[in-house]
Amino acid sequence: MAGLTIKHLYKRYDNSGKKKKGAKLNDYAVQDLNLECGQGEFIALLGPSGCGKTTTLRMTAGLETITKGEIYIGDTLVNDLHPKDRHIGLAFEDYAMYPPLTVYDNIAFNLKAKGVDKAEIDKRVREIAPLMQCDDLLDKMPVKLSGGQKQRVNIARAIIRRPELLLMDEPLSHLDGKARQAMRTEIKRLINDIKCTTVYVTHDQLEAMSLADKIAIINFGVLQQFGTPAEVYDDPVNEFVASFIGEPPMNILETTIIGDGDHFLFTFEGSDLQIKVPERYNNVVSNGFKCKMGVRPMDVLVGGPDSHGMPEKVDTFENLGDERRIGIRVGNTLMMLITDDETRYKAGDIIKLEVRGEKTHLFDIETGNRIRE
Amino acid sequence: MARIQLENVTKRFGKVTALDGVSLDIKDKEFFVLFGPAGAGKTTILNCIAGIQLPEEGVVKFDGEVVNLVDAAHRDTAMVFENYALYPQMTVYDNMASPLRSKLYKKDEEFIKKKVHEVAEMMKMENLLERLPSQLSNGQKQRVAMGRALVRSPRVYLMDEPLAHLDAKLRNSMRTELKSIQANFGTTSIYVTHDFMEAMSLGDRIAIVNKGKIVQIGTSDEIYYMPCNEFVAQLMGDPEINIVGGRLEKTGAGYAFSLNDVEGRTYQLPEDKDLFAALDEAGLTDVELGIRPQNVKYSFDPVEDYTKCTVYSYESIGNKSVIVAEIGNLQLRMIAPNGLAVKIDQDIYVKLELDHAIFFNMETKEYVSRYNEAAVKALAAEQEG
Amino acid sequence: MNTASKRLGRIVQNGLLIIYAMFALFPLIWMLILSIKSDAEMYTTTFIFSPTLDNYKAVLLESDYLQYMLDSLIVAGGAVIVSVVAGVPAAYALARYNFKKKEDIAFQILSFKFAPEILVVLPLFMIYQMLGIYDSYFGLIWVYQLISMPLLIWVVRGYFEDISVEIEYAAQVDGYSWYQIFFKNLIPLIKPGLVSAALLAFIFAWNCFTFPLMLGGTNVQPITVAITKFLGTDSAHYGQLAVAATISALPAIIFALCIQKHLVRGLSFGAVKG
Repeated sequence: MAGLTIKHLYKRYDNSGKKKKGAKLNDYAVQDLNLECGQGEFIALLGPSGCGKTTTLRMTAGLETITKGEIYIGDTLVNDLHPKDRHIGLAFEDYAMYPPLTVYDNIAFNLKAKGVDKAEIDKRVREIAPLMQCDDLLDKMPVKLSGGQKQRVNIARAIIRRPELLLMDEPLSHLDGKARQAMRTEIKRLINDIKCTTVYVTHDQLEAMSLADKIAIINFGVLQQFGTPAEVYDDPVNEFVASFIGEPPMNILETTIIGDGDHFLFTFEGSDLQIKVPERYNNVVSNGFKCKMGVRPMDVLVGGPDSHGMPEKVDTFENLGDERRIGIRVGNTLMMLITDDETRYKAGDIIKLEVRGEKTHLFDIETGNRIRE
Repeated sequence: MARIQLENVTKRFGKVTALDGVSLDIKDKEFFVLFGPAGAGKTTILNCIAGIQLPEEGVVKFDGEVVNLVDAAHRDTAMVFENYALYPQMTVYDNMASPLRSKLYKKDEEFIKKKVHEVAEMMKMENLLERLPSQLSNGQKQRVAMGRALVRSPRVYLMDEPLAHLDAKLRNSMRTELKSIQANFGTTSIYVTHDFMEAMSLGDRIAIVNKGKIVQIGTSDEIYYMPCNEFVAQLMGDPEINIVGGRLEKTGAGYAFSLNDVEGRTYQLPEDKDLFAALDEAGLTDVELGIRPQNVKYSFDPVEDYTKCTVYSYESIGNKSVIVAEIGNLQLRMIAPNGLAVKIDQDIYVKLELDHAIFFNMETKEYVSRYNEAAVKALAAEQEG
Repeated sequence: MNTASKRLGRIVQNGLLIIYAMFALFPLIWMLILSIKSDAEMYTTTFIFSPTLDNYKAVLLESDYLQYMLDSLIVAGGAVIVSVVAGVPAAYALARYNFKKKEDIAFQILSFKFAPEILVVLPLFMIYQMLGIYDSYFGLIWVYQLISMPLLIWVVRGYFEDISVEIEYAAQVDGYSWYQIFFKNLIPLIKPGLVSAALLAFIFAWNCFTFPLMLGGTNVQPITVAITKFLGTDSAHYGQLAVAATISALPAIIFALCIQKHLVRGLSFGAVKG
């Protein structure tokens, strides 16, 4: 087992062959990516489709050439190593199994190709199968398996080689609903058991938040933030991260700050809503300062018309069983609030809100970067 | 603008019975949700109402008038399809104008232009009108499909899982948007979904469909708090409700409940006269309790009256997380905030808030009674009124 | 991996392709050359000769060649038209409706293409004689269905199956009748398939030899059969034969070039969930 270090990694696709109309030439798919993944750590590469996360994974696996930069597995520079010499396990989105072979032979295939002796193979397959809960599937043919079972076999196949590094590319994206959730839990427990260094590519922030020790959020080939789930959730570095993590996403509203030296208020165009600016921002804001304010739906307290706070009109009210979501119009934006309160509101009702000042974030209007106190 | 009734509708495809004696009475201007797992027959119900499929038995009535023999074009409905079913060779504008250009609902081009732009503005897609469907993202296609239905003022809107193919985030925001324009519909709407959040959020009333039959009809609160059986209870809610099996024992005027899966764990049930009366009447010893994840309390330090378990998993579900705790064969789901430092297999202490429990018959899995039933009924009645 | 070996690979690839192209095109080129040679030089294999247009004159002006062309056009074109008119609805039915033995019928239609023509031509000859449609346009157009119809049905059926049935439902609910839906919505969507299948069918029908040889006579004589006339009993006019063959190949080549453009299947994609 080994860690993974990525230093100043670049990838540029050679577009000279086929020039597609409209495609930007000379664009980097991955730009100056630096990552460090400790031994036994589980990191997630998270970003929208086309952000370069899969490219990074493929370069790590050796399936894609590196334009510039270095990738180390453990202490070994692997830039020029053939994939088979990198000691990695791969689990892809498409579970490409060999249809004429049974599950057992599929799992054992790699070891057989390497010439490991039969008794050893058998031992290892029997060892892995219960871990992935596929011991009773071993004699079946791939066509008879459900999506979730196929993915389990697929992962079993990746880890049977005892890789130093396990790479997974959206392994859950073909599963739906409950199967997906169950499989997510299984992967989490499996990695916890075998303690293998893992890189996991996904576009689903929930998967990343649930599984990973650390999340690398990538957009347009550039690393935005690399941190623990709690860090990226509570302390996002920019607007992109703030709105990408969390569901419903953070409310981000353009605001003009008014006030004198000691007391400031957020005001919003087209709305009479005013929110107190926490005092810790006093050094960075001034009267007339324009920026964006971000606050998570959970961090606004909602009370009935008798409680104190800013009165606002309910635009949408959704009762979702264990929680209720309220939408209010602030200018053109729908601001979402979440409450556990049992009260049922209707559109048009007046509620009072109180924003938890310590949970507000400020972002630069132009760059989207966090403005820190 | 129509009351839709289905009476004993049965639909078979070869030997498969897709609908088995479905009866529904959907009120005028109601937003009615058909909710159930995949393959339950929800879409078939919608197709029977639209006239795309003809039921073998039973009648479909619009405003009391039997329409079984009226073909789809003449039923005056507008439908949104799960796969959007846009006309690929037409621009967004022509797609949306198409219902107003058919012989039956013919309008002059000026009116069409006004109407299409009005709907496009409401759906926030004025900038898409000149594009072809192949140039749209899934979310945009969904809007166009919805827009094509909204340009007309039919007797009933039929929507078949319109949000199903969007990713989770987009689905949630589209649902909220749909909720905010819902008031503008002013027309009977029937909405099919397998997403419980959509059902809860949008439906004036919800019908739970399973295996071609209607299982329960009610307001969202009714169904959430008083599910008629365990299947409905499990369907309504994410994370799923905890079902805990055990034995009831009468102790004086009250009851004691001992868990089946955990040796020697017995609770004295909190007092609720109506509940106890219902339990007396049912005379059950083997019951299953449904306890929602938000009604399971936890602590990482030992607390009196809490039961020691181990953490099976800790996962984010968006704005909060779910801890699954394990004790013996029993797994309990509970809601926790995001970003806790929880390790798998660490100790956790758990308490079930029994005063929110829903009681089910262990054998039939049917609803028996629950705590505060009267209050819940009052809440549901208020919602309906 | 490195660029030098990549370039070498490319050169080898192209070299092989050129050799293959020469091998495949040589007979055609030879035919062209023959068509401008005089009978005297016919058997020399050198590329040096005095080109002449005598053969073209003989074929186009001094024989009934244009009449044969017209016969071919009527028979092949007629066959394709009949195939489209009958085949498109048949393809729709096979794609959309469920009925007993559906797959068997579909396979039966395809299987017409399996049997060698020579197998059925003798009984057909006798039947045609009895029905009195031997050596008539009607008879040949009819028998050409064996060639063009299965192809058309199978290609177009695939296109219909690609169109989601919900599009038809949507149009129904929008207030359109079935015929309007069929012509306004479905035909535009299957057009690429329909055009390419029709062109292919036309080419196959044009090139057909066995059927017109046995079932055509003096009244109707498509070009494929007529060409054989240039192999006279006394001497073989290879030059004229080459001219006839060259010109008769032209429509096929032109149409083949047209098809290329229409073989794109993209149109119906993107309308439904993607």
